[in-house]
Amino acid sequence: MQTPLSTSDAITVRDLRKTYRIREGGSWRGKTRDIVALDGISFSVPKGQIAGFIGPNGAGKSTAIKILSGILRPSSGEVQVNGLVPWTNRVAHVARIGVVFGQRTQLWWDLSVGEGLALLRDIYGVEPERFARNRARLADALDLGGIMDQFVRQLSLGQRMRAEIAASLIHDPDILILDEPTIGLDAPSKLAVRAFVHELCRDRGTTVLLTTHDMHDIEALAERVIVIGHGRILADSPFEDLRMTTLSERILELDFHDTPPELTLPAGASETAREPHSITITFDPRQIPAPALVAHVGHLPGLDDLRISRPSIDEIITRFYADHPA
Amino acid sequence: MSLRPYLTAFGLQWKIGLRYRIAVVAGLVAQMWFGAVTLMAYASVYHAAPDVQAPLSLRQAMTYTWIQQSLFTLLPLGCLPAIGDAARTGSIVYDLLRPVDMWNWWLSASLARLLGNAVPRAVLLACVAGPLAMIVGLGAWSLAPPASLISAILALVSIALGALLSATIVMGWNILTARTLSPLGSYAVGTPLAVLLSGMLLPLPLYPDWIRPFLLVQPFAGITDIPIRIYLGTPIPGGVATGLGLQIFWLAALTLLGRLWMRQTVNRLEVQGA
Repeated sequence: MQTPLSTSDAITVRDLRKTYRIREGGSWRGKTRDIVALDGISFSVPKGQIAGFIGPNGAGKSTAIKILSGILRPSSGEVQVNGLVPWTNRVAHVARIGVVFGQRTQLWWDLSVGEGLALLRDIYGVEPERFARNRARLADALDLGGIMDQFVRQLSLGQRMRAEIAASLIHDPDILILDEPTIGLDAPSKLAVRAFVHELCRDRGTTVLLTTHDMHDIEALAERVIVIGHGRILADSPFEDLRMTTLSERILELDFHDTPPELTLPAGASETAREPHSITITFDPRQIPAPALVAHVGHLPGLDDLRISRPSIDEIITRFYADHPA
Repeated sequence: MSLRPYLTAFGLQWKIGLRYRIAVVAGLVAQMWFGAVTLMAYASVYHAAPDVQAPLSLRQAMTYTWIQQSLFTLLPLGCLPAIGDAARTGSIVYDLLRPVDMWNWWLSASLARLLGNAVPRAVLLACVAGPLAMIVGLGAWSLAPPASLISAILALVSIALGALLSATIVMGWNILTARTLSPLGSYAVGTPLAVLLSGMLLPLPLYPDWIRPFLLVQPFAGITDIPIRIYLGTPIPGGVATGLGLQIFWLAALTLLGRLWMRQTVNRLEVQGA
């Protein structure tokens, strides 16, 4: 007999599977083929955590998000969100979550932002005082003051995304699901969205599940990264752990005011690029710690400057995907 | 369960329906035009064969036509436009994310859209084709008053049922749209069916004897044909009670079938991408 799913976690998923049956060819009775989108995934997210959910296109992220939102029924497996099974208690479940699909709009194009929020107030049955309080708080935090009276179709993408996030939070959901919330946004808008989500989690204890292709979102927000690929969980760890296990190497760049000299490097370090006035060295800090390497090269004649950097999160994720091929 | 979300959905679509004032005027002109052409056709047919005992008198056929024209936008011609747009853009997923009964939510929106379109046009056209036509001396071509006060009251009840029935048929088109993720199919199927079977093209009482019973018992007759017959006081086989009974039967049957279809659709609605 299986142990019951824990109720102290905001989200619990056990052995979740989803197979899509698609029809091939245009004929009336086309052949069908099964596509496995989720092949048995399990994880749980404690209350108040921000969990990043990443993976390449077609990995199964969206399928998992839809099942957790209650709009898709899995083929098998157990899910509890706030103690409810999303697809059997759809109405009760969706009343307690907020969802933003970055590529779709939930506000009404023909209405102003303020009118749209008022409609959502009626749909979710938010009491007038609570609505007024939430609206003021969200307008302030997301800088919506100037656009409350504008039609949604007139908003810029950044303005619209801020309005969408406000729309998903007007009923104080315990869980916020963000599906690519920063897609297409400019840098200031991305920073604003990230700062807001961070505050939301810190000040109100909202649990956040975030999918994104922008690894800076993950780096800035997620305490934890769940990497999904081919319908399975490939990694589930704090981001630093993922960095250490996947791509722990660092890069040392040396600039010279003349032609760089020939180098003899200690074990664990190697020269990976040479330019007329610079050298790039890649090293593994577990074999040769950075201070020792710097001490080793610091006396080189003609050295102007040196920089140590870590691989970007994009490089780490690309390497991780490459290490887990189809 | 609170009614508030459904009233909100109703209010929104009602407002959108009323927003297009130019469309109301344009529609009115088009319907006046089609109404007038149809009337002239009837006049020549009736005058060419004065001995034939037609099921409707010329005046009744004209009144039938005027009411039918004024209620054109009450017909279930296709899905609710908002649902068509949502299906195309994918934001239909948000409809599933609202803590509401999907059927009632879409039904109240669909009904509001039909009424928001039809009520202003019907009132305007009734004024033009009724009192105004009489004042300018076109009384013979005008919309006749109801057969009696009772007929008027029963016709109002019947038209309310007809509007609800139409919205229920629109729900069928909405579900079709949600399944195919395109509104086109619903219009391709809905418009010809609704125009033909509601009596918009030719009043149902004027069809040949052998087909008339079938035309009366199909659901589209309950939208405008049965209310108009009650208004005119023309006999319905089995009386007014049969007319209202048919409307209620179809309302119940289509609601039951539609809810089943909707549940099945929501269970398999798999919006691709994103």
